[in-house]
Amino acid sequence: MLLEAQGIAKNYGGVRALKGVSFDLRAGEVHALVGENGAGKSTLIKVLTGAVEPDAGSIFLGGERILNNSPHHSRSLGLAAVYQQPAIFPHLTVAENIALVNETGGLARKVNWAARVETARELLKAIGADIDPEREAGTLSMPEQQLVEIAKALGANVRVLILDEPTASLTELETERLFTIVARLRSQGAGIIYISHRLEELARIADRITVLRDGESITTRQATETTPQQLVSLMAGRELATLLPKVTVPLGDVVLSVQGLSSVSAGVHGVDLEVRAGEILGIAGLVGAGRTQLAETLFGITPADAGKIRVKGSEVVVRNPEDAIAAGIAYVPEDRRRHGIVGDLPVRANTTLAILPQLSSRALLDQESERELATEWVTRLGIKTDGIDAPASSLSGGNQQKVAISRWLATEPKVLILDEPTQGIDVGAKAECHRIMCDMAAKGLAIVMISSELNEILGMCDRVAVMRNGHIVATVARAEATAESLLALALGHTS
Amino acid sequence: MLVENRAGRERALLLVVALELVIFAFTGPNFLSAANGFEIVRLGVELGLLALALTPIIITGGIDLSVGSMMGLCAVVFGFLWRDLHFPLPLAALAALATGTAGGALNAALITRFSGAPLIVTLGTYSLFRGIAEGLTRGVDNFSQFPPGFLYFGQGYLGGIVPVQALVFVAFVVLYWLLLHRSVFGRAFRAIGFSAATNGDARWSGIPVNRRLALAYTLSGFTSAVASLIYVAHLGQARSDAATGYELLAITAVVLGGASISGGRGSIWGTLLGLGAIVMLQNGLRVSALPVELAGILTSAILVGTIAVGHLRRRPKEAPDTASPDTESEEDQMKNSQLAVLSSVIIAGALIVAGSNWWLVQSVRPVTPATTVAAAPAFKRHTLAVMPKAKGDPYFVSCRLGAEAAAKELGQDLIWDGPADLDPARQNEVVEAWITRGVDTIAVAVVNAPGISSVLRKARAKGIKVLTWDADALPDARDYFVNQATPQGIGETLADEANRILGGEGDFAIITGALTAANQNEWIQFIKARIAAKYPKLHLITIRPSDDDRNRAFSEAQTLMKVYPKMRLIMAISAPAVPGAAEAVKQSGRQDVKVTGLSLPNMCKPYVMAGIAESVVLWNTLDLGYLVVNASRQAADGTLKPGVTEIDGGRLGKIGIEGTQVVLGKPLIFTKANIDKYNF
Amino acid sequence: MRQRATAIAIFWAVLVAVLAFRAPAFFEFANLRDIAVVNAPALLVAIGMTLVILAGEIDVSVGSQFAVASVVAGTLAKAGVPLPLTALLTALAGACFGALNGALVSWLGVPSIVATLAAMAFCRELLRWVTQGAWVEGLPADFQWMGLSQPHGELAILLLAATIFAAFAWTLRHSQAGRAVYAVGSSRESARLAGLPVGGITLAVFILMGVLTALAGVLDSVRFSQVQSSAGAGLELKAISAVVIGGAAITGGRGTLWGTLLGASVLAVIAPALTFLGINAFWEKAIQGAIILGAIVLDRLSARRSGSGDKHAG
Repeated sequence: MLLEAQGIAKNYGGVRALKGVSFDLRAGEVHALVGENGAGKSTLIKVLTGAVEPDAGSIFLGGERILNNSPHHSRSLGLAAVYQQPAIFPHLTVAENIALVNETGGLARKVNWAARVETARELLKAIGADIDPEREAGTLSMPEQQLVEIAKALGANVRVLILDEPTASLTELETERLFTIVARLRSQGAGIIYISHRLEELARIADRITVLRDGESITTRQATETTPQQLVSLMAGRELATLLPKVTVPLGDVVLSVQGLSSVSAGVHGVDLEVRAGEILGIAGLVGAGRTQLAETLFGITPADAGKIRVKGSEVVVRNPEDAIAAGIAYVPEDRRRHGIVGDLPVRANTTLAILPQLSSRALLDQESERELATEWVTRLGIKTDGIDAPASSLSGGNQQKVAISRWLATEPKVLILDEPTQGIDVGAKAECHRIMCDMAAKGLAIVMISSELNEILGMCDRVAVMRNGHIVATVARAEATAESLLALALGHTS
Repeated sequence: MLVENRAGRERALLLVVALELVIFAFTGPNFLSAANGFEIVRLGVELGLLALALTPIIITGGIDLSVGSMMGLCAVVFGFLWRDLHFPLPLAALAALATGTAGGALNAALITRFSGAPLIVTLGTYSLFRGIAEGLTRGVDNFSQFPPGFLYFGQGYLGGIVPVQALVFVAFVVLYWLLLHRSVFGRAFRAIGFSAATNGDARWSGIPVNRRLALAYTLSGFTSAVASLIYVAHLGQARSDAATGYELLAITAVVLGGASISGGRGSIWGTLLGLGAIVMLQNGLRVSALPVELAGILTSAILVGTIAVGHLRRRPKEAPDTASPDTESEEDQMKNSQLAVLSSVIIAGALIVAGSNWWLVQSVRPVTPATTVAAAPAFKRHTLAVMPKAKGDPYFVSCRLGAEAAAKELGQDLIWDGPADLDPARQNEVVEAWITRGVDTIAVAVVNAPGISSVLRKARAKGIKVLTWDADALPDARDYFVNQATPQGIGETLADEANRILGGEGDFAIITGALTAANQNEWIQFIKARIAAKYPKLHLITIRPSDDDRNRAFSEAQTLMKVYPKMRLIMAISAPAVPGAAEAVKQSGRQDVKVTGLSLPNMCKPYVMAGIAESVVLWNTLDLGYLVVNASRQAADGTLKPGVTEIDGGRLGKIGIEGTQVVLGKPLIFTKANIDKYNF
Repeated sequence: MRQRATAIAIFWAVLVAVLAFRAPAFFEFANLRDIAVVNAPALLVAIGMTLVILAGEIDVSVGSQFAVASVVAGTLAKAGVPLPLTALLTALAGACFGALNGALVSWLGVPSIVATLAAMAFCRELLRWVTQGAWVEGLPADFQWMGLSQPHGELAILLLAATIFAAFAWTLRHSQAGRAVYAVGSSRESARLAGLPVGGITLAVFILMGVLTALAGVLDSVRFSQVQSSAGAGLELKAISAVVIGGAAITGGRGTLWGTLLGASVLAVIAPALTFLGINAFWEKAIQGAIILGAIVLDRLSARRSGSGDKHAG
């Protein structure tokens, strides 16, 4: 037994995040940890790495109890973790990011710069990431940062590697590479704790699967003996409807039409696309292909320097988000916690943030209308909250996402762009988000959905545009699209 | 949760304010009167306007350090347009408001268009605005003699009791309350601040971030301009150094009121409470005749205390799963410890106040009986209030020694208080506090004659005898002026000394205090006039500032010697500047350059003895302080009254009276021959 | 950073050209030496401020700390404590002061601008209350210039400042401790997860700030034979300006000591250059402000030209 946690309990204030969870990991094993958001997965791994101190319970590594745990201590014992949010130093180079975590020897020593760069280069090469070690980490994209995180974790002399949703922002190709690395580590005798919402992955990679629910360990099973459907019902404690409702609605007129759209600074080049009322257009592509940048260009965050945008036939000039909103373009961003919601504001304020001018007379806010409107959306989208005055940050990830979506639906948009709408939210919430998208499409909204999860794209979209290097390289109807063909297009392996 | 959190802090602050009220009700006579209440409001208006202006900015996660400098710039623009370009007053006022708005817009543009960090941008404009104000006035000029109709806005009372500017303030409070708590802009400010606090950006939420930020900073400029007009009306004078240092006090008020410096949290109600706590503390300490330094010390303690507690409470939140719905109950649990620590902070603060009061009473008691026994003619015991121009100035520190000696000798209660730095607005505050307290006499070394005169007249109307010393107010605002050395006397003596040292011919330079210091500028005028009239061969080559900093004076003198090799004399007219300049001359080894100026003997003794400083001019500060208290006592007893031609000056003998001036004679000139006889 | 160095180089080139034409005496060795000696203490404070800003914090209490340190040094020297011990004890006092700020920031979680704002008022007022504005006079003769002759004393000050600068510059760039300061300023949470002692580093940075400010106070005091109790007013803004003009990010993680040196040099020459050029002193503050604003505008323009925004993800 490599790692053993016994009776771990942790309370935050009055909330019992972990109620005496026991967990074990063998050498040469991939042990997956699944559960809905808030089930206690992240807390458990933070306890293991010493980032959070448990109220009760003990941890043994190789039979020896770990006392006075801290991130530093656990790391020196060979426990490495890749957290959901990349823990990078934006101002420092990639090489230094890796070195600061992995080098041992305390603060009073000289830095060997050449060795740092060399080590980083090797580690990045090992995971097949084409990233210059001397680049400033803050200039990397989110998935590239995730890759640096993985390289960082591998750099340590790993006995236990903890991966918390590592594939959430990775493309299929990068995910494949990650799996190769995991397999190699496993064969070298390391233990891997793997957290993921992508249940399909688990059958391929995991040896055992433990399901957490409400801070308790429900069951531990051999991966070969479970199906995703079983896992889902174990996680939720109930049977769920099948994922990805696939509703076809009659398509209307062209709502959004884009011609030759470019934004040099954002890296978007000559994009043409069309979306009809009731249609869901998927945008697939590798990380860094320019999908988010395209969305941000349409939304005016990085205004276009060439090209035309037409909404319902009339040309619009989008210089900033206000122009986009006025033109009926709405955008639910990828980074929910930073940009999607304003966590400290109450749910009602989050819902109405984009339509404040409509809720006011002479700049004064009509609070009654606001409450009515917020209540209406909470009901319509089934947002689970303690009330419209609860801060958005107190909601679960899925419900936060619904709040973010409600804000943009409240603007009564003609085009809704969703960027990784179900990333990092649990299965139940995911299904509900999909249901909402279908409902909205049925009401004649034109939807653009960016997703790295090919299953989601294939399940939800009427057509799929594939991006590569800031260009749209192909647009495929759903009937003709397969995971393989989309991947090949994204990679540039045209057959 | 938001409401909950804010209420906690506000309750705590209310407690602080209540405690202040209770303590000062005991220690400060008339502290709880309506008149004093309105005085507190009046004193808080300029600061309060700045705090209001800063509240939305701090809520967006920004900061504006330039508000105080902006007041200086607007005041100067206003005065310049009115006096020199003969604009009608309303038009000049409009132009000042436009200047403020434009300055705010400049901040806004640099922050939104050029992505400058607000701290840095406003640090830059903090220097820029003040710099332009100094440049426009050449540092020296100031504008006064505004018509009474205008001064009414800063000095008048509605219905005999409500200060006029209080109405302006109330209007702005309502405006800002609507803006922040009822309008879409307030919501946007919060969204911007909360997003910034989590490294996000409210643009993704559909908030026109740049336009909203521009509004907050531009409005701040406008409000600062309004504050500057009130400041000018209040003091009757427009100067480039108006409201120096107000920005930090205003920020303190806002943060004390519960606004989070990282953005999102904050309210107008909280800001008002924070402002109230600060202003009341200052006024209460003054009315209680407690050391005012306590105000700064206590304010910082309360500030750190309340914030530390707030953060202790929030800290555990960083750790948990971001998704876990744990915020509510955690809040409850932490509230108890929050209140506990808060209360202890406040109680500690109260103990300091109470303790020092007790200590003061204790330390006065044993001394007084001893002196009353010693001094044979036991005079009726009066409370004599004496104010220097600036408390920290070594020159006034030595005046205080003389004053305290006299008070002891005569068995009088002396209150010695004044602004820490040269600040006309603070002088008015102190006088107001004394009127409230009900002292018998007030003696002021006036920084700004038109500014202080109306409050002195008010004191006289209340039956308090008013004297001035060191520098005079308008003659109708005081009973007597203790005149030892007038600015004219000083200026002429300095010019005579320069002539003597240079042997009737040569170049000299002046190192002054701050470029905007009123008294130094007055001396310079008389020096220039004297030279033009009597010593045509003396040549004043330049005037350099030292900011009353010895080191600055040192480097200025160093540079002057290099740039002007023909210069033979440095005249330093700020107390720390003489030793600074003398040290520079000493270190340069130049035998041909001499130093003279106005300073204290002890500071300059080594240099005078070494022959570097040829002479130092000063009135005998010990005697001056001594005489002021003597004259005050006699004014209080009624023995100093119209028609009297001489008074008893105690150990100084009989002192002559000319009209309403008590004359102590010419300035002293310290030289190698006599400097050893003085020790102050 | 490179653009900033270029900009400052251009500033210097223009200044040198103008001065060489109008007032060549500016470049005499004696003048440059005097400017360097006078500004050496401010440089030490700016070094400390660079550390603090790199770590993502700010310290507006250095002016007050400087005054306290000067008075402490003067009082000790007057009491007959030998100079090396005086310097040591003053540095210790500075360390305590810094530790207080650091503890408020790293343990109690008070934002550094608020904590040090309070510390600034607290110490200034306390000092005013205790000294009532009186100077420390009558220092022993061997206090001035550390008992050396004036030229040797000046040399000693310059050497000391240069040594401290070099030591900190090397440490920041090439030691793990220096990199840890950058790391903490770049992202506190990442630093915590990387096992860096974040609280300790923040505390250490404030303590170093206190020690450097105290040493600056000592170095400043030994140039005179008396100590002014109200010294150091406005020093905090000067130090922050030097760091910012030197190209550091106020949010932490970016900046170098060489940049700070350049920034400090720009601020140091303004006043003497104005005197040499015969320009009126009234415009000095305006020029200072304009330089800071110029730096901001320049940053933005160069960022626009190179087109490197901070947008990512895809």
